[in-house]
Amino acid sequence: MGDKKKKKSSAKTLQTAREAGNFGKKILASARTAAEEGKPIAWSMVDWWLGGTIAKAMGVELCYPENYGAFCASVRRAEPYLDYAESDGIPNTTCGYARNCIGYTRRLQENNFVIPQDAPGGGMPKPLFLLACGAVCDARYKWFQSLGRYMNVPVWTLEFPQTGVAEYYLAGNKEENIKFMVQELREFVSFLEKLLGKKMDWDNLSERLDTIFKTHQLAHEVDILRKSVPSPAVNTDFWALMIPHLYLPDDPEALEFYKRVYEEVKYKVDNKIGAIPNEKYRMAFSELPPWHTLGLFDEFAEKHGIAFVIESWNYHAPSPLPESEREGITDPLELIARYSYHKFNESAPTAKKYCMDPTIFTAPYLKWVEEYKVDGLFCHPLMSCRPATYTLMHLRNLLMEKFKVPSVVVEGDIVDLRVFNEEEAHAKIDAFIETMDYYREIRRKEGFGW
Amino acid sequence: MTVIKGLARAEQIYQDREKRAKELKAEGKKIAGYLCCYPPLEIMTSLGYMPIRIMGEMDEPLTEADTYLPTVMCAFYRSVLDVAMKGRYDYLDAFIGAHACDGAERVSYVWRSYLKSPCSFYLDIPHTNHAAAIEFFKKQLFYLKEELEKTAGKKATAAMIKEAVTLHNKQRSLVRQLYELNKQDPPLVSGSEMLQVMIAIMCIPPEEGNVLLEEVIEEVKGRAEGPKKKKGRILIWGSLIDNIAFTKLIEDCGLNIVIDDTAIGTRSFWIDVDETEDPFDGLAIRYLDKIVCPRTFRDTKNTRMEDLDNRFSYLKKMIKDWNVNGVYMNIIRNCDIHGYEISEVRDYFEEMGLPVLVIEQDYSTTALEPLRTRFQAFAESIN
Ligand code: SF4
Ligand code: SF4
Repeated sequence: MGDKKKKKSSAKTLQTAREAGNFGKKILASARTAAEEGKPIAWSMVDWWLGGTIAKAMGVELCYPENYGAFCASVRRAEPYLDYAESDGIPNTTCGYARNCIGYTRRLQENNFVIPQDAPGGGMPKPLFLLACGAVCDARYKWFQSLGRYMNVPVWTLEFPQTGVAEYYLAGNKEENIKFMVQELREFVSFLEKLLGKKMDWDNLSERLDTIFKTHQLAHEVDILRKSVPSPAVNTDFWALMIPHLYLPDDPEALEFYKRVYEEVKYKVDNKIGAIPNEKYRMAFSELPPWHTLGLFDEFAEKHGIAFVIESWNYHAPSPLPESEREGITDPLELIARYSYHKFNESAPTAKKYCMDPTIFTAPYLKWVEEYKVDGLFCHPLMSCRPATYTLMHLRNLLMEKFKVPSVVVEGDIVDLRVFNEEEAHAKIDAFIETMDYYREIRRKEGFGW
Repeated sequence: MTVIKGLARAEQIYQDREKRAKELKAEGKKIAGYLCCYPPLEIMTSLGYMPIRIMGEMDEPLTEADTYLPTVMCAFYRSVLDVAMKGRYDYLDAFIGAHACDGAERVSYVWRSYLKSPCSFYLDIPHTNHAAAIEFFKKQLFYLKEELEKTAGKKATAAMIKEAVTLHNKQRSLVRQLYELNKQDPPLVSGSEMLQVMIAIMCIPPEEGNVLLEEVIEEVKGRAEGPKKKKGRILIWGSLIDNIAFTKLIEDCGLNIVIDDTAIGTRSFWIDVDETEDPFDGLAIRYLDKIVCPRTFRDTKNTRMEDLDNRFSYLKKMIKDWNVNGVYMNIIRNCDIHGYEISEVRDYFEEMGLPVLVIEQDYSTTALEPLRTRFQAFAESIN
């Protein structure tokens, strides 16, 4: 029991990855300082760079309950919040991040909105509003709406259209989607102006966008470097490094930091230094990780020489917006809309090529297995997150059918330690090694390039 | 030969849901299968497609679903894909998927990757009822029309769509008339009979559905042997029910189901499409804004009470008009849309002084029996 509860974090292979956690701390600390100074705070879903940046340009400080859920899980302190949400009627099958947040908010309310002393990481202060998002998953607006039970603050749901592959190619449809996004962003700006009683600072927004593009470009270039053999960085590095590019890409400090990340990874590539000492197998990981037990991947590396070379599509920065899409665009809201739509649909050609849906969570892996020379896919179906789980079986069918790449399924959860079985994960990986050997041979015979 | 009519006919269609579609298909009619209550029936009807609601099968063990969908997914949609992969819907000329919820969205995608119909469309449905969302949705409906036209071999004019609106509005009005008959005590139609009728009209052409509804209304109005008076007059809220094994179990426990707020029930029929100059305006507003399902986010109001009323006051009206004295909240396991709503809706009902039973169920008839004691205890608790 004592052993099971022991924290099991990953050592990470990059120096910069070890430092990246400071950005997470910075988010929470800045929000608390702002709250003390009477400045506006909002809780925001990861919004794939749509609304958060706009809110920040108007002087709002943001906290991210999804990230807070991952943090509470990583220090193994999510369980009491999960229990507390469930005891108020929230099903134990709903998102672990959501239950963590609902339990936390219920406690916060009972403490008259003074952050409880024992809140992990110092806690999140009471928000002025909640920024929900329609991208990817229903939880990301239904959960914020359900917080109305504990605090009477407005919820704004940012729309995010989700296009089917065939529909993406319908004449004019892409522009209709973008038009809709721009209109919705404009509505959001009006909502903010009314709530905050001040006007949007457009220059500030444009500056932030500029920084975002630079940070993301570096993050994307790091992803490209990771195609090298041996892999210069692995999944546990990425999951730490993503905090600055996912939550703070508009922060000049994050941009500076990413220059260092790039340097570190580039050095390793140039000198053929692998992230793990003896890389024998290259795996991809889909989709969200067991935050409470990341040390597991260090064990797989040590035991079997497995490098997790690519992972978690949704957390990666997109490739830069093509020039043709930027040309002549002066409205920063349109630029944001085009960029975000690009992020979600840039793999549509791959999906079309293989005659499959969806683009999100699935098609990117069809490109990655070839580019990253993937021997196997680690599928992590989550007990409490459906959107990042729904297409896993579909994905494993596709990878086998199209590329003869096998996969292993290890059930677990992002937050809920109660449903994860470490021994079983080890046993499955032990057995999977032979499967990867077998399919390597098949791929070789069938003329695949890896 | 006696002609089977009214409730008996509804039961017959309910038992063999695909029969009529297949007969019509053999006669050369085109059939369009759709998910959930969001793809506008009027567009399909106007182009000569018979719309059929795609459902799962609570009686059927899942044998194919695991290969395509994980166990943590909405139990209903796992069943939908399971029966589809076994060929149940192979005869469809058009498949219309929909972004009603995550479950419907991802199943639409997976379905289209493996099952190819001559026409297939994925209808994106915005999350809010904002003006821009309605405008966007209207445009998506236009694309749906254009895609269906390619295989229909004809174009739908505004006049044709308006005609279909009138036809489907008539159906909605007949459904409301039927539910009206349950305001009395005992109600004239049992929950199981109502479910059979609702499913039947989703599986036959609207003209035939309207005749069936008229027959049923006529029949039950004059019936002597309807449902017995029971202590409980309940409303069912939540995820859908599409098998009478479930409603029968509830009714056997001493409860009359008099009204519902579920997707194979009032939600699909309660509100008419406005007969607007451009029919797409009426369709977009009705299907996105006026259907009241928790999947659509409505902007928060100034006070908590205003917000709750904005979202749930229609339920208050149903409770009063149908003289409801208990609520069963039906949650299909892994349905997030309803899952996040449980505490709020439960409290809203309880504040009206109503006893509430919440059950997360597995969408399987074999898992029903253990629920019996809970319904019995619930019936006991109703005064
Ligand atoms: S995608 Fe999954 S983890 Fe993220 S909010 Fe939705 S349910 Fe939760
Ligand atoms: S039960 Fe829930 S998840 Fe399933 S179809 Fe209905 S709203 Fe969607």
